Amino acid sequence: MTTPPVTDAFDDLAAQPGTPRVPGLADRVAEVVAVTEEHLARTDREAAFPVEALDALRRTRLLGLLVPPQHGGLGGTLADLVEAAQLLGRSDMSVGMIFAMHCQQAAAVVRYAHEPLRTQLLPRIAAGEVYLASVTTESGKGGHLLTSEAPLHQDGARLAIDRFAPIVTGGAHADGFLITMRSPDADSANEVSLVYADRETLRISGSGDWQPMGMRASHSIPMKLQGTVPAHHVVGEHGNFREIADKVFGPLAHLGWSAVWLGTAAGALSRVLRLLRSPAGKKQFDLRSELLLTRISRARQRLESVHALLQRTLRMVASGEDLSVPSRQLLLNSLKITASQECFAAVDELIEAVGLRHGYLKDSQTRLELVLRDLRSAALNYSNDRLHLADGRMALLDQGVRFA
Amino acid sequence: MDPRFIDVLRPLVKTANPEATAITADTDLRKVGIDSMQAIELLFSIEDTFGISLPDEDLNDSTFATAGSLWRAVQAQLQQHDAGASGKATA
Repeated sequence: MTTPPVTDAFDDLAAQPGTPRVPGLADRVAEVVAVTEEHLARTDREAAFPVEALDALRRTRLLGLLVPPQHGGLGGTLADLVEAAQLLGRSDMSVGMIFAMHCQQAAAVVRYAHEPLRTQLLPRIAAGEVYLASVTTESGKGGHLLTSEAPLHQDGARLAIDRFAPIVTGGAHADGFLITMRSPDADSANEVSLVYADRETLRISGSGDWQPMGMRASHSIPMKLQGTVPAHHVVGEHGNFREIADKVFGPLAHLGWSAVWLGTAAGALSRVLRLLRSPAGKKQFDLRSELLLTRISRARQRLESVHALLQRTLRMVASGEDLSVPSRQLLLNSLKITASQECFAAVDELIEAVGLRHGYLKDSQTRLELVLRDLRSAALNYSNDRLHLADGRMALLDQGVRFA
Repeated sequence: MDPRFIDVLRPLVKTANPEATAITADTDLRKVGIDSMQAIELLFSIEDTFGISLPDEDLNDSTFATAGSLWRAVQAQLQQHDAGASGKATA
Protein backbone atom coordinates (compact mmCIF):
# COMPACT_ATOMS: atom_id res chain seq x y z
CA MET A 1 0.00 0.00 0.00
CA THR A 2 1.36 3.40 -0.86
CA THR A 3 1.41 6.22 1.63
CA PRO A 4 -0.46 9.30 0.44
CA PRO A 5 1.84 12.24 -0.26
CA VAL A 6 2.11 14.65 2.65
CA THR A 7 0.51 17.79 1.29
CA ASP A 8 -1.82 20.40 2.56
CA ALA A 9 -5.17 19.93 0.85
CA PHE A 10 -5.49 23.62 0.24
CA ASP A 11 -1.95 24.59 -0.73
CA ASP A 12 -1.97 21.72 -3.15
CA LEU A 13 -5.17 22.73 -4.90
CA ALA A 14 -3.34 24.96 -7.36
CA ALA A 15 -1.11 22.06 -8.37
CA GLN A 16 -4.06 19.85 -9.25
CA PRO A 17 -6.79 22.21 -10.30
CA GLY A 18 -10.18 20.68 -10.15
CA THR A 19 -8.94 17.08 -10.16
CA PRO A 20 -10.56 14.46 -7.94
CA ARG A 21 -8.03 12.32 -6.14
CA VAL A 22 -9.54 10.46 -3.20
CA PRO A 23 -9.53 6.75 -4.08
CA GLY A 24 -12.77 4.95 -3.35
CA LEU A 25 -14.70 8.21 -2.92
CA ALA A 26 -17.72 6.80 -4.78
CA ASP A 27 -17.82 3.71 -2.52
CA ARG A 28 -17.68 5.81 0.63
CA VAL A 29 -20.46 8.05 -0.66
CA ALA A 30 -22.51 5.02 -1.75
CA GLU A 31 -22.45 3.74 1.84
CA VAL A 32 -23.84 7.06 3.09
CA VAL A 33 -26.42 7.14 0.28
CA ALA A 34 -27.71 3.66 1.23
CA VAL A 35 -28.25 4.78 4.83
CA THR A 36 -29.80 8.08 3.70
CA GLU A 37 -32.29 6.35 1.40
CA GLU A 38 -33.39 4.10 4.23
CA HIS A 39 -34.30 6.98 6.54
CA LEU A 40 -35.23 9.93 4.32
CA ALA A 41 -39.01 9.51 4.36
CA ARG A 42 -38.99 9.57 8.16
CA THR A 43 -36.49 12.44 8.59
CA ASP A 44 -38.62 14.54 6.21
CA ARG A 45 -41.91 13.60 7.88
CA GLU A 46 -40.64 14.20 11.42
CA ALA A 47 -38.32 17.13 10.53
CA ALA A 48 -35.62 15.09 12.26
CA PHE A 49 -31.86 15.39 11.82
CA PRO A 50 -30.47 12.45 9.80
CA VAL A 51 -28.43 10.98 12.67
CA GLU A 52 -27.91 7.68 10.82
CA ALA A 53 -26.52 9.43 7.73
CA LEU A 54 -24.23 11.54 9.92
CA ASP A 55 -22.96 8.34 11.57
CA ALA A 56 -22.24 6.98 8.08
CA LEU A 57 -20.37 10.19 7.20
CA ARG A 58 -18.31 9.70 10.37
CA ARG A 59 -17.69 5.98 9.71
CA THR A 60 -16.65 6.48 6.08
CA ARG A 61 -14.31 9.34 7.15
CA LEU A 62 -16.06 11.66 4.73
CA LEU A 63 -16.25 14.30 7.49
CA GLY A 64 -12.47 14.48 7.04
CA LEU A 65 -12.63 14.72 3.23
CA LEU A 66 -10.76 18.04 3.10
CA VAL A 67 -8.43 17.35 6.05
CA PRO A 68 -4.82 16.80 4.87
CA PRO A 69 -3.41 13.26 5.16
CA GLN A 70 -0.77 14.31 7.73
CA HIS A 71 -3.67 14.97 10.12
CA GLY A 72 -5.33 11.67 9.22
CA GLY A 73 -7.78 13.06 6.66
CA LEU A 74 -8.59 11.96 3.12
CA GLY A 75 -6.78 14.97 1.61
CA GLY A 76 -9.54 15.58 -0.90
CA THR A 77 -9.60 18.42 -3.43
CA LEU A 78 -12.42 20.81 -4.20
CA ALA A 79 -13.32 18.49 -7.08
CA ASP A 80 -13.78 15.66 -4.56
CA LEU A 81 -16.01 17.91 -2.46
CA VAL A 82 -18.13 18.85 -5.48
CA GLU A 83 -18.41 15.21 -6.56
CA ALA A 84 -19.38 13.93 -3.11
CA ALA A 85 -21.84 16.80 -2.54
CA GLN A 86 -23.54 16.14 -5.86
CA LEU A 87 -23.85 12.41 -5.22
CA LEU A 88 -25.32 12.95 -1.75
CA GLY A 89 -27.70 15.60 -3.15
CA ARG A 90 -29.05 13.03 -5.62
CA SER A 91 -30.33 11.09 -2.67
CA ASP A 92 -31.28 13.81 -0.17
CA MET A 93 -30.68 17.55 -0.29
CA SER A 94 -30.65 17.92 3.51
CA VAL A 95 -27.87 15.35 3.92
CA GLY A 96 -25.95 16.93 1.03
CA MET A 97 -26.17 20.39 2.57
CA ILE A 98 -25.20 19.13 6.03
CA PHE A 99 -22.10 17.54 4.48
CA ALA A 100 -21.19 20.51 2.25
CA MET A 101 -21.53 23.00 5.09
CA HIS A 102 -19.42 20.86 7.43
CA CYS A 103 -16.69 20.64 4.75
CA GLN A 104 -16.75 24.42 4.35
CA GLN A 105 -16.16 24.76 8.12
CA ALA A 106 -13.44 22.09 8.08
CA ALA A 107 -11.68 23.90 5.22
CA ALA A 108 -11.55 27.10 7.29
CA VAL A 109 -9.90 25.16 10.14
CA VAL A 110 -7.44 23.54 7.70
CA ARG A 111 -6.40 26.83 6.24
CA TYR A 112 -6.62 29.26 9.17
CA ALA A 113 -6.48 27.49 12.57
CA HIS A 114 -3.33 28.18 14.64
CA GLU A 115 -1.42 25.75 16.81
CA PRO A 116 -2.20 24.02 19.08
CA LEU A 117 -5.87 24.06 17.97
CA ARG A 118 -4.86 22.86 14.52
CA THR A 119 -3.11 19.69 15.72
CA GLN A 120 -5.77 19.04 18.33
CA LEU A 121 -8.84 19.50 16.14
CA LEU A 122 -7.94 18.30 12.63
CA PRO A 123 -7.29 14.64 13.60
CA ARG A 124 -10.64 14.58 15.43
CA ILE A 125 -12.45 15.88 12.33
CA ALA A 126 -10.57 13.36 10.19
CA ALA A 127 -11.55 10.50 12.53
CA GLY A 128 -15.23 11.46 12.26
CA GLU A 129 -15.43 12.55 15.91
CA VAL A 130 -16.23 16.19 15.19
CA TYR A 131 -19.16 17.34 13.08
CA LEU A 132 -18.87 21.12 12.75
CA ALA A 133 -21.77 23.55 12.72
CA SER A 134 -21.57 27.15 11.66
CA VAL A 135 -22.84 29.97 13.85
CA THR A 136 -22.90 33.02 11.60
CA THR A 137 -26.54 34.13 11.69
CA GLU A 138 -27.60 36.89 14.04
CA SER A 139 -30.96 38.52 14.71
CA GLY A 140 -31.56 41.70 12.79
CA LYS A 141 -28.76 41.49 10.24
CA GLY A 142 -30.67 39.48 7.63
CA GLY A 143 -28.05 36.82 7.07
CA HIS A 144 -25.23 39.30 6.46
CA LEU A 145 -22.06 37.32 7.00
CA LEU A 146 -19.50 40.02 7.60
CA THR A 147 -20.84 41.84 10.64
CA SER A 148 -21.50 40.81 14.21
CA GLU A 149 -23.02 42.67 17.14
CA ALA A 150 -22.19 40.09 19.81
CA PRO A 151 -18.85 41.06 21.36
CA LEU A 152 -16.13 38.55 22.23
CA HIS A 153 -14.57 39.34 25.63
CA GLN A 154 -10.92 38.54 26.27
CA ASP A 155 -10.00 37.75 29.84
CA GLY A 156 -6.28 36.92 29.89
CA ALA A 157 -5.82 33.63 28.09
CA ARG A 158 -9.57 32.95 27.72
CA LEU A 159 -12.22 34.27 25.37
CA ALA A 160 -15.77 34.55 26.64
CA ILE A 161 -18.60 33.68 24.24
CA ASP A 162 -22.20 34.75 24.72
CA ARG A 163 -24.04 34.47 21.44
CA PHE A 164 -27.56 33.92 20.14
CA ALA A 165 -28.07 32.65 16.60
CA PRO A 166 -31.53 32.32 15.00
CA ILE A 167 -30.49 29.48 12.66
CA VAL A 168 -27.83 26.83 13.24
CA THR A 169 -28.05 23.89 10.84
CA GLY A 170 -27.50 20.66 12.74
CA GLY A 171 -26.88 22.65 15.91
CA ALA A 172 -28.44 20.03 18.17
CA HIS A 173 -26.05 17.36 16.85
CA ALA A 174 -22.81 19.28 16.23
CA ASP A 175 -19.71 18.34 18.22
CA GLY A 176 -18.08 21.71 17.64
CA PHE A 177 -19.02 25.18 16.49
CA LEU A 178 -17.32 27.87 14.45
CA ILE A 179 -18.79 31.12 15.70
CA THR A 180 -18.54 34.65 14.32
CA MET A 181 -18.29 37.32 17.05
CA ARG A 182 -17.36 41.00 17.14
CA SER A 183 -13.61 41.12 17.91
CA PRO A 184 -12.43 42.15 21.41
CA ASP A 185 -11.88 45.95 21.44
CA ALA A 186 -13.49 46.33 18.00
CA ASP A 187 -14.58 49.81 16.96
CA SER A 188 -17.27 48.59 14.55
CA ALA A 189 -19.46 45.60 13.84
CA ASN A 190 -17.28 44.96 10.79
CA GLU A 191 -14.36 43.74 12.90
CA VAL A 192 -15.37 40.13 13.19
CA SER A 193 -13.43 37.16 14.57
CA LEU A 194 -14.10 33.46 14.01
CA VAL A 195 -13.81 31.29 17.14
CA TYR A 196 -13.94 27.52 17.60
CA ALA A 197 -15.71 25.95 20.59
CA ASP A 198 -16.21 22.29 21.52
CA ARG A 199 -19.81 21.48 22.37
CA GLU A 200 -18.84 20.22 25.83
CA THR A 201 -17.27 23.58 26.80
CA LEU A 202 -20.50 25.48 26.09
CA ARG A 203 -23.78 25.98 27.90
CA ILE A 204 -26.35 25.56 25.18
CA SER A 205 -29.99 26.57 25.34
CA GLY A 206 -32.70 27.30 22.83
CA SER A 207 -35.81 26.03 21.22
CA GLY A 208 -35.64 22.83 19.21
CA ASP A 209 -38.72 23.69 17.20
CA TRP A 210 -38.20 23.43 13.44
CA GLN A 211 -41.19 23.13 11.11
CA PRO A 212 -40.12 24.33 7.66
CA MET A 213 -41.59 23.71 4.20
CA GLY A 214 -38.56 21.76 3.00
CA MET A 215 -34.99 20.92 4.07
CA ARG A 216 -36.75 19.38 7.03
CA ALA A 217 -33.93 16.95 7.84
CA SER A 218 -31.40 19.80 8.08
CA HIS A 219 -32.85 20.58 11.52
CA SER A 220 -31.77 24.22 11.62
CA ILE A 221 -32.61 25.66 15.00
CA PRO A 222 -32.16 28.82 17.08
CA MET A 223 -29.43 28.46 19.73
CA LYS A 224 -27.86 30.40 22.56
CA LEU A 225 -24.22 29.53 23.20
CA GLN A 226 -22.31 30.61 26.31
CA GLY A 227 -18.89 29.64 27.61
CA THR A 228 -15.18 30.33 27.42
CA VAL A 229 -12.47 28.96 25.14
CA PRO A 230 -8.65 29.31 25.15
CA ALA A 231 -7.37 32.38 23.26
CA HIS A 232 -5.77 30.15 20.62
CA HIS A 233 -9.25 29.06 19.49
CA VAL A 234 -9.41 32.14 17.27
CA VAL A 235 -9.33 30.87 13.67
CA GLY A 236 -7.34 33.32 11.53
CA GLU A 237 -6.55 36.73 13.01
CA HIS A 238 -8.85 38.74 15.28
CA GLY A 239 -11.04 41.03 13.21
CA ASN A 240 -10.04 39.36 9.97
CA PHE A 241 -13.00 37.04 9.38
CA ARG A 242 -13.58 38.84 6.07
CA GLU A 243 -10.54 37.10 4.61
CA ILE A 244 -11.83 33.65 5.63
CA ALA A 245 -15.25 34.53 4.21
CA ASP A 246 -13.75 35.70 0.90
CA LYS A 247 -11.28 32.87 0.47
CA VAL A 248 -13.01 29.87 2.03
CA PHE A 249 -16.59 30.31 3.24
CA GLY A 250 -17.90 32.11 0.14
CA PRO A 251 -16.27 30.00 -2.58
CA LEU A 252 -16.85 26.68 -0.81
CA ALA A 253 -20.44 27.57 0.05
CA HIS A 254 -21.31 28.47 -3.54
CA LEU A 255 -19.52 25.46 -5.01
CA GLY A 256 -20.77 23.00 -2.39
CA TRP A 257 -24.38 24.19 -2.35
CA SER A 258 -24.62 24.38 -6.14
CA ALA A 259 -23.24 20.85 -6.38
CA VAL A 260 -25.85 19.60 -3.90
CA TRP A 261 -28.68 21.40 -5.74
CA LEU A 262 -27.53 20.06 -9.09
CA GLY A 263 -27.39 16.58 -7.59
CA THR A 264 -30.86 16.98 -6.09
CA ALA A 265 -32.39 17.98 -9.44
CA ALA A 266 -30.35 15.36 -11.34
CA GLY A 267 -31.55 12.66 -8.94
CA ALA A 268 -35.14 13.77 -9.54
CA LEU A 269 -34.70 13.74 -13.32
CA SER A 270 -33.12 10.31 -13.15
CA ARG A 271 -36.02 8.89 -11.12
CA VAL A 272 -38.51 10.44 -13.57
CA LEU A 273 -36.70 8.89 -16.54
CA ARG A 274 -36.60 5.49 -14.84
CA LEU A 275 -40.32 5.76 -14.26
CA LEU A 276 -41.01 6.75 -17.89
CA ARG A 277 -38.82 3.95 -19.23
CA SER A 278 -40.29 1.27 -16.93
CA PRO A 279 -42.89 -1.11 -18.37
CA ALA A 280 -45.60 0.56 -16.25
CA GLY A 281 -44.39 4.02 -17.27
CA LYS A 282 -44.49 3.14 -20.95
CA LYS A 283 -48.14 2.18 -20.55
CA GLN A 284 -48.99 5.32 -18.58
CA PHE A 285 -47.04 7.91 -20.60
CA ASP A 286 -46.78 8.47 -24.32
CA LEU A 287 -43.04 8.70 -24.90
CA ARG A 288 -43.71 10.04 -28.41
CA SER A 289 -45.57 13.03 -27.02
CA GLU A 290 -43.79 16.13 -28.26
CA LEU A 291 -44.87 18.06 -25.17
CA LEU A 292 -43.36 15.42 -22.86
CA LEU A 293 -40.14 15.23 -24.91
CA THR A 294 -39.80 19.02 -24.89
CA ARG A 295 -40.32 19.23 -21.14
CA ILE A 296 -37.73 16.54 -20.49
CA SER A 297 -35.35 18.32 -22.83
CA ARG A 298 -35.81 21.65 -21.06
CA ALA A 299 -35.20 20.10 -17.64
CA ARG A 300 -32.03 18.44 -18.93
CA GLN A 301 -30.91 21.68 -20.60
CA ARG A 302 -31.20 23.58 -17.32
CA LEU A 303 -29.08 20.98 -15.55
CA GLU A 304 -26.48 21.01 -18.34
CA SER A 305 -26.12 24.79 -17.89
CA VAL A 306 -25.65 24.46 -14.13
CA HIS A 307 -23.20 21.59 -14.58
CA ALA A 308 -21.09 23.58 -17.04
CA LEU A 309 -21.10 26.64 -14.80
CA LEU A 310 -20.22 24.54 -11.76
CA GLN A 311 -17.26 22.88 -13.48
CA ARG A 312 -16.01 26.21 -14.84
CA THR A 313 -16.25 27.89 -11.44
CA LEU A 314 -14.61 24.91 -9.75
CA ARG A 315 -11.60 25.26 -12.05
CA MET A 316 -11.37 28.97 -11.37
CA VAL A 317 -11.46 28.54 -7.59
CA ALA A 318 -9.06 25.58 -7.66
CA SER A 319 -6.57 27.52 -9.76
CA GLY A 320 -5.87 29.74 -6.74
CA GLU A 321 -6.49 32.98 -8.67
CA ASP A 322 -7.39 36.10 -6.67
CA LEU A 323 -11.14 35.80 -6.14
CA SER A 324 -11.58 39.43 -5.06
CA VAL A 325 -11.39 40.56 -8.71
CA PRO A 326 -14.96 41.60 -9.69
CA SER A 327 -15.17 39.36 -12.76
CA ARG A 328 -14.28 36.29 -10.66
CA GLN A 329 -16.62 37.25 -7.83
CA LEU A 330 -19.37 37.74 -10.41
CA LEU A 331 -18.82 34.24 -11.81
CA LEU A 332 -18.91 32.72 -8.33
CA ASN A 333 -22.12 34.55 -7.42
CA SER A 334 -23.67 33.71 -10.79
CA LEU A 335 -23.09 30.04 -10.08
CA LYS A 336 -25.07 30.26 -6.85
CA ILE A 337 -27.91 32.34 -8.32
CA THR A 338 -28.17 30.27 -11.51
CA ALA A 339 -27.98 26.89 -9.75
CA SER A 340 -30.65 27.90 -7.22
CA GLN A 341 -33.02 29.06 -9.98
CA GLU A 342 -32.41 26.46 -12.67
CA CYS A 343 -32.42 23.38 -10.44
CA PHE A 344 -35.74 24.46 -8.93
CA ALA A 345 -37.16 25.33 -12.36
CA ALA A 346 -36.09 21.95 -13.77
CA VAL A 347 -37.94 20.08 -11.04
CA ASP A 348 -40.99 22.34 -11.40
CA GLU A 349 -40.99 21.49 -15.10
CA LEU A 350 -40.75 17.77 -14.36
CA ILE A 351 -43.86 18.04 -12.19
CA GLU A 352 -45.73 19.48 -15.20
CA ALA A 353 -44.29 16.70 -17.34
CA VAL A 354 -45.48 13.76 -15.23
CA GLY A 355 -48.62 15.31 -13.72
CA LEU A 356 -50.46 14.94 -10.44
CA ARG A 357 -49.91 11.28 -9.59
CA HIS A 358 -46.11 11.26 -9.91
CA GLY A 359 -45.46 14.98 -9.61
CA TYR A 360 -47.50 16.01 -6.61
CA LEU A 361 -48.08 13.01 -4.36
CA LYS A 362 -45.68 12.16 -1.56
CA ASP A 363 -45.61 8.44 -2.23
CA SER A 364 -44.37 8.62 -5.83
CA GLN A 365 -41.03 6.98 -6.50
CA THR A 366 -39.95 10.21 -8.25
CA ARG A 367 -39.91 12.11 -4.90
CA LEU A 368 -40.61 15.31 -6.88
CA GLU A 369 -42.83 16.63 -4.09
CA LEU A 370 -39.98 16.45 -1.53
CA VAL A 371 -37.35 17.73 -3.94
CA LEU A 372 -39.42 20.76 -4.96
CA ARG A 373 -39.92 21.75 -1.31
CA ASP A 374 -36.21 21.28 -0.60
CA LEU A 375 -35.01 23.20 -3.66
CA ARG A 376 -37.33 26.12 -2.88
CA SER A 377 -34.87 27.03 -0.12
CA ALA A 378 -31.95 27.45 -2.54
CA ALA A 379 -32.78 31.02 -3.57
CA LEU A 380 -33.35 32.00 0.07
CA ASN A 381 -30.23 30.37 1.52
CA TYR A 382 -27.91 33.38 1.43
CA SER A 383 -30.57 35.26 -0.49
CA ASN A 384 -30.31 35.78 -4.24
CA ASP A 385 -31.66 39.31 -3.69
CA ARG A 386 -28.59 40.15 -1.61
CA LEU A 387 -26.24 38.61 -4.19
CA HIS A 388 -27.89 40.56 -7.02
CA LEU A 389 -27.27 43.83 -5.14
CA ALA A 390 -23.59 42.91 -4.72
CA ASP A 391 -23.38 41.80 -8.36
CA GLY A 392 -24.99 45.02 -9.57
CA ARG A 393 -22.36 47.08 -7.75
CA MET A 394 -19.52 44.90 -9.05
CA ALA A 395 -20.88 44.98 -12.58
CA LEU A 396 -20.63 48.80 -12.44
CA LEU A 397 -16.92 48.43 -11.63
CA ASP A 398 -16.29 46.40 -14.78
CA GLN A 399 -17.19 48.74 -17.64
CA GLY A 400 -15.35 46.59 -20.15
CA VAL A 401 -17.43 43.53 -19.17
CA ARG A 402 -14.51 41.10 -19.02
CA PHE A 403 -15.42 37.54 -18.14
CA ALA A 404 -13.33 35.48 -15.72
CA MET B 1 -30.44 -14.00 -33.96
CA ASP B 2 -33.81 -14.70 -32.39
CA PRO B 3 -36.72 -14.54 -34.90
CA ARG B 4 -38.57 -12.24 -32.49
CA PHE B 5 -35.66 -9.82 -32.81
CA ILE B 6 -35.97 -9.85 -36.62
CA ASP B 7 -39.72 -9.26 -36.22
CA VAL B 8 -39.01 -6.17 -34.13
CA LEU B 9 -36.52 -4.82 -36.66
CA ARG B 10 -38.54 -5.54 -39.80
CA PRO B 11 -41.24 -2.81 -39.49
CA LEU B 12 -38.55 -0.15 -39.08
CA VAL B 13 -36.70 -1.06 -42.29
CA LYS B 14 -37.21 1.74 -44.83
CA THR B 15 -35.71 0.23 -47.96
CA ALA B 16 -37.54 0.19 -51.32
CA ASN B 17 -38.79 -3.32 -50.58
CA PRO B 18 -38.60 -3.95 -46.83
CA GLU B 19 -40.02 -7.49 -47.00
CA ALA B 20 -37.33 -8.53 -49.47
CA THR B 21 -34.45 -6.98 -47.48
CA ALA B 22 -32.44 -9.70 -45.74
CA ILE B 23 -31.64 -8.96 -42.09
CA THR B 24 -28.40 -10.61 -41.02
CA ALA B 25 -25.87 -9.91 -38.27
CA ASP B 26 -23.95 -7.72 -40.74
CA THR B 27 -26.94 -5.56 -41.73
CA ASP B 28 -25.96 -1.89 -41.34
CA LEU B 29 -28.96 -0.46 -39.49
CA ARG B 30 -28.46 3.08 -40.77
CA LYS B 31 -28.27 1.88 -44.37
CA VAL B 32 -31.67 0.22 -44.04
CA GLY B 33 -33.14 3.45 -42.65
CA ILE B 34 -32.92 3.05 -38.87
CA ASP B 35 -31.51 6.42 -37.80
CA SER B 36 -30.99 7.84 -34.30
CA MET B 37 -34.60 9.02 -34.00
CA GLN B 38 -35.89 5.55 -34.87
CA ALA B 39 -33.32 3.93 -32.59
CA ILE B 40 -35.43 5.11 -29.64
CA GLU B 41 -38.54 3.40 -31.11
CA LEU B 42 -36.48 0.29 -31.73
CA LEU B 43 -35.12 0.34 -28.18
CA PHE B 44 -38.60 0.59 -26.68
CA SER B 45 -39.97 -2.23 -28.78
CA ILE B 46 -36.99 -4.45 -27.93
CA GLU B 47 -37.53 -3.73 -24.24
CA ASP B 48 -41.24 -4.50 -24.50
CA THR B 49 -40.73 -7.67 -26.53
CA PHE B 50 -38.00 -9.20 -24.39
CA GLY B 51 -38.89 -7.65 -21.00
CA ILE B 52 -35.40 -6.29 -20.51
CA SER B 53 -33.81 -2.87 -20.16
CA LEU B 54 -30.61 -1.96 -21.98
CA PRO B 55 -28.18 -0.11 -19.68
CA ASP B 56 -27.37 3.56 -20.41
CA GLU B 57 -23.79 2.57 -21.25
CA ASP B 58 -24.98 0.47 -24.21
CA LEU B 59 -26.99 3.25 -25.82
CA ASN B 60 -24.46 4.49 -28.35
CA ASP B 61 -23.70 4.36 -32.07
CA SER B 62 -21.63 1.18 -31.93
CA THR B 63 -24.46 -0.77 -30.29
CA PHE B 64 -26.88 0.42 -32.96
CA ALA B 65 -24.36 -0.03 -35.84
CA THR B 66 -25.50 -3.42 -37.11
CA ALA B 67 -28.25 -5.90 -36.34
CA GLY B 68 -25.55 -8.18 -34.90
CA SER B 69 -24.06 -5.56 -32.54
CA LEU B 70 -27.52 -4.70 -31.25
CA TRP B 71 -28.43 -8.38 -30.82
CA ARG B 72 -25.26 -8.94 -28.75
CA ALA B 73 -26.31 -6.15 -26.38
CA VAL B 74 -29.82 -7.65 -26.13
CA GLN B 75 -28.42 -11.14 -25.55
CA ALA B 76 -26.16 -9.90 -22.77
CA GLN B 77 -29.20 -8.50 -20.95
CA LEU B 78 -31.24 -11.65 -21.60
CA GLN B 79 -28.48 -13.77 -20.05
CA GLN B 80 -28.25 -11.49 -17.02
CA HIS B 81 -32.01 -11.53 -16.74
CA ASP B 82 -32.10 -15.35 -16.85
CA ALA B 83 -29.21 -15.64 -14.38
CA GLY B 84 -31.05 -13.29 -12.02
CA ALA B 85 -34.29 -15.24 -12.38
CA SER B 86 -32.70 -18.66 -11.79
CA GLY B 87 -30.67 -17.19 -8.92
CA LYS B 88 -33.89 -16.07 -7.30
CA ALA B 89 -35.55 -19.40 -7.99
CA THR B 90 -32.82 -21.39 -6.23
CA ALA B 91 -32.43 -18.95 -3.34
